[in-house]
Amino acid sequence: MAAPALEKLREHTGGYGNLTDAGEKVNILMVDDQPAKLLSYEVILAGLGENLIKATSATEALEHLLKKDIAIVLTDVSMPDIDGFDLAEMIRQHPRFQKTAIIFISGVHLTDVDRVKGYRQGAVDYITVPVIPELLRAKVSVFAELHRKRRQLETLNRHLEQRVAERTEELRERADLLELATEAIIVRELNGTITFWNSGAEELYGWRRHEAIGANIADLLRTRSIDGNADWQAELLANGTWEGNLLHITRDGREIIVASRQAVKAENHGSPGTLLEINRDITSKLQTEEALRKAERLAAMGRVAGIIAHEINNPLEAIINAFYLLRDHPSLDAEARKYARLGEQELVRISHIVRQTLGFYRESQQPTSVPIAEILDSVLELQSRHFQVNRIQLEKLYQADCHVFGFPVELKQVFLNLIGNAVQAMPDGGRLRMRVGEHTDPRTQVRGIAISICDTGAGISPEVSKRLFEPFFSTKAAKGTGLGLWISKGIVQKHEGTIHFRSVRTSSGGATCFRVFLPEHGPANLMKPSVIASDSGTRSNGGKLA
Amino acid sequence: MPEAKALILCVDDEPIPLTLRKSVLEKWGFAVLAVRSGAEALAMIERQPVDLVLTDLLMPGLSGTELAREMKRLRPNIPVVLLSGVNEIPEDAEAADLFLSKVEGPVAMCNKISEMLNRSRAKSVSG
Repeated sequence: MAAPALEKLREHTGGYGNLTDAGEKVNILMVDDQPAKLLSYEVILAGLGENLIKATSATEALEHLLKKDIAIVLTDVSMPDIDGFDLAEMIRQHPRFQKTAIIFISGVHLTDVDRVKGYRQGAVDYITVPVIPELLRAKVSVFAELHRKRRQLETLNRHLEQRVAERTEELRERADLLELATEAIIVRELNGTITFWNSGAEELYGWRRHEAIGANIADLLRTRSIDGNADWQAELLANGTWEGNLLHITRDGREIIVASRQAVKAENHGSPGTLLEINRDITSKLQTEEALRKAERLAAMGRVAGIIAHEINNPLEAIINAFYLLRDHPSLDAEARKYARLGEQELVRISHIVRQTLGFYRESQQPTSVPIAEILDSVLELQSRHFQVNRIQLEKLYQADCHVFGFPVELKQVFLNLIGNAVQAMPDGGRLRMRVGEHTDPRTQVRGIAISICDTGAGISPEVSKRLFEPFFSTKAAKGTGLGLWISKGIVQKHEGTIHFRSVRTSSGGATCFRVFLPEHGPANLMKPSVIASDSGTRSNGGKLA
Repeated sequence: MPEAKALILCVDDEPIPLTLRKSVLEKWGFAVLAVRSGAEALAMIERQPVDLVLTDLLMPGLSGTELAREMKRLRPNIPVVLLSGVNEIPEDAEAADLFLSKVEGPVAMCNKISEMLNRSRAKSVSG
């Protein structure tokens, strides 16, 4: 009979059921084969105010145990079939009842006491007959209280477990956020050893987590301060936090500027333990700001140049006209005429410089046939002084009679830039080779003129190559506006042409070749009817200059 | 050089550049009337058979482009050439038929004026 009951117990896989609140009554199961005894226990324990349940056999007791959360089992030791000890054995075997308190009631036998002591787990006690009511009440009351306290603890535990689970989830989410952050988040030890490296850091610096962790941050990122504050690390340790800009080198060798926020995380004893830093790449932001500043400076320069040009041009025209009238004047002798002519020549130079430097003189005409060789020669003439000073050899390989349709002054601007750059690339002498020839674009079959300008200067590094046609990019530091090649490319594209370059660098020197292709048809889509061409006589004010 | 001298109305508020420009144009073979303002220029075309107007851009009173617009309203067939010391073409330069920089020099200026007169004549003959 015992076996099926035990099976039932084992099958019962549910939890604790509805756990009652800590202040609620607890269930006390009284087991005795004699109903009269059960009645007497009931009377004794009634005053405790707990729930009293009666069972007249071990089997019945087990039934109750299955259904209810029993705090205390009060059992007679000597019962037919399953006695009290056997019942206790069964109860103890089930994990759910290991903490159920058991109080045996029996006559005093030494052996029984020994058996009782044999139960190591859980609360076990015994009471000898005749039962002293106060003693029974006291013992039951202690176990009931114990049960209640345990239930409270369990509730508390459950809450705690839930809190822990929630907190863990929160931390996991936060870790996910750290991972998702575009900012580089790095934790390092005091000696610089990296212990945390998020994906933002991977993204920013190019180093993977497994490469970065364990490495020394100073070695990995080659940190340098740029605000002239070399003591920033000391400041960080002294104040606990630091904010500022730092220079770092990425894995692929790029130098980047980061806005860095750093904090010391103290260990338990207040001594500094780890350093947290959050870095944001501000390189492009700074570059944009710098470009804006430059653009503003250029715009201001442009305005000033415009004013100066105007102020110079007015008297200049008068003087040029005066010399023009003077040079062939019949009253002058040969010597005076010579002086007048020389003066006029020099004035031509001034007007040339004014036009070249003080603002772009945009062409008001429609595209015309541009003799490329003539344009190139006029540019070479402008640079002729540099050829002498820098000892640059000039080679010209012009195919005869190369013309394209376009804007001569703008094209001149392009060649002035390219030839000027070539000359500046050869401060210690070299060779400048210029080729002009007919060419058909193999891809588009468009016919045109190819112009190549090659110098034997230092060559162009791959890093510089990538950015060469960007606005405000200059290798000439403060000397260049960084606009020359950008403008040139714009002009060439306006002519529907292309501009390319090739550069080699060797230990003994280098060579750079710029090649411009201009289609002979010129900027077809820009051929708006110009004012001059409007011969129809129906000219309106809306007519635009090309 | 034109057979019958073309009459050019030259407008500039500054006397010295105006005088010298007039001399250059005369040397080139044009007949020249020189006036110091847009208002004077508009009065002059009522009295003289002007073939072309050559005007400075920046002047007190009527500016070069304002004068050009007014001229086109009154005498749509007379070409107007804007002459300026500014290196940038002003936005409303289309009011005139041609924009010239002052530093292009006397030869370029006279050549372009001749060219403009030839076109204008050809048009009036054919039209």
